[in-house]
Amino acid sequence: MKTRFIPYSILLIFVSMLFFVSCKKELTGEDNAQEVITTMQLTFTPQNGGNSVSYKFDDPDGPGGNNPVKDQIILSAGVTYDVVLQLLNKTTDPLEDVTLEVEKDGEAHHLYYEPSTTSNLTVTNLSNDVNGLPLGIKSVWKTGAAGSGTIKITLRHYPGFPPDKLASDPVDSPKSSTDVEVEFATIVK
Amino acid sequence: MKKLIYIFIITVISLHAKAQDCSMILTGHVHSTHSHEDLAKATVLLLKTGESITTDDNGDFKFTKLCKGDYTIKVTHASYDEESRHFSMDANRHIDIDLFPTKNVLKTVTITGINRPQHLGITKELSGKDLEETRGLSLAEALSKINGVSMLQTGSNISKPVIHGLHSNRILTINNGVRQEGQQWGNEHAPEIDPFIANELSVVKGVDELQYGSDAIGGVILVEPKSLRTLPGYNAEFNSMYFTNNREYVFSGIWEQQLKKMPSLTYRIQGTFKQSANVTTPHYRLNNTATIEKNFSATVGLRREHFESELYYSYFNDKVGIFAGSHIGNLTNLQKAIESDRPDPTFTGQDSYEIKRPYQAVDHHLVKSKSVLQVGANKFNLLVAAQLNSRKEFDIVRDATNNKPQMDLDIFTVSEDLNWEQPKRNNFSGLVGITAMQQDNSYAGRYFIPNYTSGTYGSYVIEKWKKNKWDAQAGLRFDQKKINTNRMLTNGTRFDFYSFNFFTFASSFNVGYQIQPTWKIYSNFSMAGRAPNVNELLSNGIHHGTATYEIGNIALKPEHSINISLNSDYNNKANTIGFDVTLYNNNINDFIYQQPKPDEPVLTIAGAFPKLVYEQTNANLKGLDFSAFAKPVNNLEWQLKYSMLRARNKKIDDWLIMMPADNITNELSWQFKDGSRLTKTSFGISIQNTFKQTRVPDDKYGKQDYKEPPPAYTLVDADFSTSFRAGSLPITLYLSGKNLLNTTYRNYLNSLRYFTDEIGRNISVRIKIGLQHFYE
Repeated sequence: MKTRFIPYSILLIFVSMLFFVSCKKELTGEDNAQEVITTMQLTFTPQNGGNSVSYKFDDPDGPGGNNPVKDQIILSAGVTYDVVLQLLNKTTDPLEDVTLEVEKDGEAHHLYYEPSTTSNLTVTNLSNDVNGLPLGIKSVWKTGAAGSGTIKITLRHYPGFPPDKLASDPVDSPKSSTDVEVEFATIVK
Repeated sequence: MKKLIYIFIITVISLHAKAQDCSMILTGHVHSTHSHEDLAKATVLLLKTGESITTDDNGDFKFTKLCKGDYTIKVTHASYDEESRHFSMDANRHIDIDLFPTKNVLKTVTITGINRPQHLGITKELSGKDLEETRGLSLAEALSKINGVSMLQTGSNISKPVIHGLHSNRILTINNGVRQEGQQWGNEHAPEIDPFIANELSVVKGVDELQYGSDAIGGVILVEPKSLRTLPGYNAEFNSMYFTNNREYVFSGIWEQQLKKMPSLTYRIQGTFKQSANVTTPHYRLNNTATIEKNFSATVGLRREHFESELYYSYFNDKVGIFAGSHIGNLTNLQKAIESDRPDPTFTGQDSYEIKRPYQAVDHHLVKSKSVLQVGANKFNLLVAAQLNSRKEFDIVRDATNNKPQMDLDIFTVSEDLNWEQPKRNNFSGLVGITAMQQDNSYAGRYFIPNYTSGTYGSYVIEKWKKNKWDAQAGLRFDQKKINTNRMLTNGTRFDFYSFNFFTFASSFNVGYQIQPTWKIYSNFSMAGRAPNVNELLSNGIHHGTATYEIGNIALKPEHSINISLNSDYNNKANTIGFDVTLYNNNINDFIYQQPKPDEPVLTIAGAFPKLVYEQTNANLKGLDFSAFAKPVNNLEWQLKYSMLRARNKKIDDWLIMMPADNITNELSWQFKDGSRLTKTSFGISIQNTFKQTRVPDDKYGKQDYKEPPPAYTLVDADFSTSFRAGSLPITLYLSGKNLLNTTYRNYLNSLRYFTDEIGRNISVRIKIGLQHFYE
């Protein structure tokens, strides 16, 4: 009896191992599915002509790891700028332009621009989503007299079904949650 | 609701009218004519009811609640000839049975049964009626009926068991003899087991833990299915169930057969299907809290003389919606959500079975083969198992066309266990074994834990001794665990290679003394060692439920526990009064926990996140589980359960976070006299008081929690069950109401307590149909 037990058991071990090894798939590692945003870039073009400038928040290795780098936004006094915001994911190769996704899913997103009073900045004319509600990928910034302060830029995402987004939703609306929140130091001179 | 109450009252009245005496007791004793021994583990089957029991160590058995009438019992045992007795019952009766050793062994089917060894020591079980009352609930919900076990929850759909304050990788879950190896890293990772498989759930502490691992610092949970049939015939059981709160319905079925022409072959198939819609609290319904679960298992058993083998396969699959209002972008969002006393209407009010992002989907396959070889009085067991667990987490995404999971983990485990059961000799019995386990984990999407391969190799010795009123058990176990890890990018780049090698040792010693036949005291001394897990060593990332950034620590050492427990279990001879008390003191050196680092926030594009780092301290967990019962009148039973835990972080002299609060449960149950139609009718009401957890860490070493623990609460539940026959089919009907008063409350051990109230009133109906047939 013992002689039959051993080969039988060994057979069972191999059959079960083979069965499982064959259906085990190798997963592919850290990929795009995680939806990381590493970089926010703002490009300023003066409406009355002149060279455009850009400033950014940049954390190319994503959350954790090295600390992010943040520019100071320096603008000229008394100028109106057309501003384009761009969100990038630099953890992938080639890098991914997240702005396209935000634009496509615009009815569930809202960008807020909150300048401090001493910054002497006003932000208006936020670009709209498909429903005609403010989205804010493009905006118009007006600088006043020289001064320094901050501007907080927040990207809010509406996870609800339907998103139930309204133009009047405050930045801390319980309906939405924060995807991006960056506060830049600003100088108008 | 009113209607239900009327139906109930009418049923009760009619029951009384038809009451008849069905309270007779049959006791018996099985004895060997050959060795003049009392025969333990003989199977005694009562043919009329299909009820089957196994004789205890003294060869005794007992059937209760028998009605007047004629009966037949069939007694079977591994090495003895089968024996039947016909008799009639008109009063309590005792039967002695002598068994003759098998002469013609070739013709006889060996009926050792892959019997589980009787667990001695401080073990608590949930079986029979108590287990029946938990059908349809999750594994953790069922286990929390055991005194000293509580639940760690993420909403009402994800729950995991907590034993004496310890959970996840500090608890071993043994599913049908196999150590469950799934994704048990986080609080939102529930055990991947269908509780309908279980015929008994037990929590084991002490020497018997060592068979399963040296790392069971909190204890071992055994999920034990019924033994396969030992007599030719078939039986089946079907359950269907409906819950009112979330329109949940459950179908579960079991079919078992032992073939007439080939009685050495037995099989069982089992399956469960569950689906539920969004859950409602007393004031609002929570969107996206629907679930769907599909489980299947099949067992084939082969029995020959001196040899038997069992092949088992099970599949678990679920998809669980996560309340979207709990998906938090950053700390400011979290604080805002915590400040408001109810979720925004965007996240409430939908009544639907649909599951949207965020949700998790889990698959678990298990294949097991167990073989038993009997050589003389020695028994050799070989267990080989393979498990494949895949967990996918789907977060809220920007792109609606994205159907990929954001976290995808596959863990594949092969385990082998070979042991030798020594024959019982001079009051000694023992078990010696070697085990090995190989594991391979890979991931895609968000980084949570690295790819790794690990190997664990262990060996153990358990000796048991019993003489007169004393018994003692002792065991030793040694394990080595090797882990190799790496991170991987999509382009195949592997980096951050780490290798670990841990040695852990465990030992345990129990002593029991039977003061009276119905009063026993037990003491246990156990040492256990647990190697750090991969998530504790190498996790690195944002936890969206808590808005924290969690970082592993590669310098962690194994943690070691020294646990002392005392237990006294008493009832009086008439079994009308009794109590059970367990005291424990668990000292854990190098206890691994998460320490907040308030001065080092992690800066990200979504704002600053508080940092949590895995560190080690010395911890002490001590507590008391007390239960008592009294039967002032024959049919009325009152039960009391109380459990208390005090858990300290000794290095900083403060309380440990997330420990269950004290709680008391009072239960009153009434057993109706059996009528001519309705039998086994009972009604019970239970009142649970959970105190406010006031023993939480303060802020002197960094803010550990965002919100004060919720206030104390009281819940009222009720259960009613009765059995009857429709034609020849035995049917049992269960009615149950949970949170009957629709109390609004929050539970400290539920991570969604920051956002929402707990589930409101939930009434369920269950119909169980049993079927039993023996081939002549």
